[in-house]
Amino acid sequence: MISKTITIEDLVEEYPFSVQYLADKGIRCIKCGEPIWGTLEEACKEKGFDVEKIDFFVKELNELNEINNL
Amino acid sequence: MLDIQKTLKNLGIENINLGVSTGAEWFDTTGKTESSSSPIDGKEIAQVKTATLDDYEKVVQKAQAAFKEWRLVPAPVRGEIVRQIGNALREYKDDLGALVSYEMGKVYQEGLGEVQEMIDICDFAVGQSRLINGVALQSERPQHRLSEQYHPLGIIGIVTSYNFPVAVWAWNSALAAIAGDVVIWKPSSKTPLTAVATQKIIRQVLIDNNVPEGVFNLVVGRSSVMGDNFLADKRIPLFSITGSTAVGKRAAEIVGRRLGNTLLELGGNNAVIITPEADIPMAVMSTVFGTVGTAGQRCTSTRRVIIHESIYNQVRDSFVKAYEKIATKIGNPLVDGNLVGPVIDVHSVNAFLDAVKKVQEEGGKILFGGQHLEGKGYESGNYVVPCIAEAENHYHIVQEETFAPIVYFIKYSGDVQNAIDLQNDVPQGLSSAIFTLNVREAETFISQTGSDCGIANVNLGTSGAEIGGAFGGEKETGGGRESGSDAWKIYMRRQTNTINYGTKLPLAQGIKFDI
Repeated sequence: MISKTITIEDLVEEYPFSVQYLADKGIRCIKCGEPIWGTLEEACKEKGFDVEKIDFFVKELNELNEINNL
Repeated sequence: MLDIQKTLKNLGIENINLGVSTGAEWFDTTGKTESSSSPIDGKEIAQVKTATLDDYEKVVQKAQAAFKEWRLVPAPVRGEIVRQIGNALREYKDDLGALVSYEMGKVYQEGLGEVQEMIDICDFAVGQSRLINGVALQSERPQHRLSEQYHPLGIIGIVTSYNFPVAVWAWNSALAAIAGDVVIWKPSSKTPLTAVATQKIIRQVLIDNNVPEGVFNLVVGRSSVMGDNFLADKRIPLFSITGSTAVGKRAAEIVGRRLGNTLLELGGNNAVIITPEADIPMAVMSTVFGTVGTAGQRCTSTRRVIIHESIYNQVRDSFVKAYEKIATKIGNPLVDGNLVGPVIDVHSVNAFLDAVKKVQEEGGKILFGGQHLEGKGYESGNYVVPCIAEAENHYHIVQEETFAPIVYFIKYSGDVQNAIDLQNDVPQGLSSAIFTLNVREAETFISQTGSDCGIANVNLGTSGAEIGGAFGGEKETGGGRESGSDAWKIYMRRQTNTINYGTKLPLAQGIKFDI
């Protein structure tokens, strides 16, 4: 289960599809070949997304994860 | 072809390795066991047990205690330990170089070069250990002596990146050690085994010389253990961080909040200027190493080539010819003759492909390469054909650093100042170069109106720095300087001393205070 407090390091490792999903929203999880530090919520806020939008991203990421696990 | 199993055995790498050490001692930990795989063939090399917060705390306490002893050891004696570390690295150069190549993906020659860089900085530090000096100044007061001296600082946090997994540790720890500091090293999560191997190589030197436990510490840990809490730890006065600008900004904010110090070596967007007065064959040969060396994953990799319009076609055609040859030498970097290995992982492949797509969307044109390689020899999925793209400097993708082998060709017209202005018009400021045989152009490039980068070269490329000069850059590169020149000073605290050897008490600025 992905939450907004997950670290980007864990997100990249456990849910690699998230990297492309977030890149499409303008959030780069990998810079200089390494995961950026901090949580998913912090990375989204850095790009100006509000709480509502972040919750929406988390919901979509979990849905994508469910589809991937089918 | 190298025998990697033999290499691992020689370096003492086992199937499951401990990831926390305070020098001679290694600690069993209960953090997550991480796997390290080679980008070359995708195979798991070995596993490493990572630290918990409790393990980290034990290491910091050990480091604090060690500092109290280590700072009392005379600097030349500390230098002697570093000399022996350099010799131990000489002994294991071939094996460690091979592991650097296998775990990181750079060609074997570059793996050996990385270990040589470690040896070189040890040699440099040994000499520096007898040259730590202060200055004597002139006091305005009679019979007063004014001087400055440097003292050890404390614990130095070192965060290294996967692209130079061990050399950057050596740059920092060799100087920190002779300065009387102790270090805590957090290696990249992508290359923990080279760190474990390095710590094992130096172990016998530490035992033979009774170096206190806690001078050279290694903590392999996830960002939840060795992240913000590490940076916020007030017991660590200085952090040296190599990584992305994003990580550097975060680190500077956290360390700055407690007024700690940082030495940041962050992203680059390095350009080579080729003027009509360049030796073009030399410019092409040199620049190609900068664009494709280490598969474009050096901080100093050449990202942009700014070419005068009058020679643009000639330079472009020469580059494409060189890339055609290189395209036949992409593959396992441990095989002699291959010049380009893999990028670190699938995410880097995607970043590369994304940049290839974006530059075209913004109006650029692909001149060569840009493909993802598949099939025999490329099973790991991490190999790409280095790309040359025609672009304009203001493109969003050109302003960013893509950590992969893509280079942007940009035309300029008029005099060299126009090229310099383009070169400087990016957020980063690490390395730069000009190819010209015209002394006016060369001197302008390195003058106060020239390159705004920390490194500005004439008739050689942007990458491949040697350890004698201070390394680092300006703007979003972070402003830090490490390795050579007077970089040792950042690892020490400066103290100003005024000594009154007279019988009177004159105040500075002639202030009278008679009781």
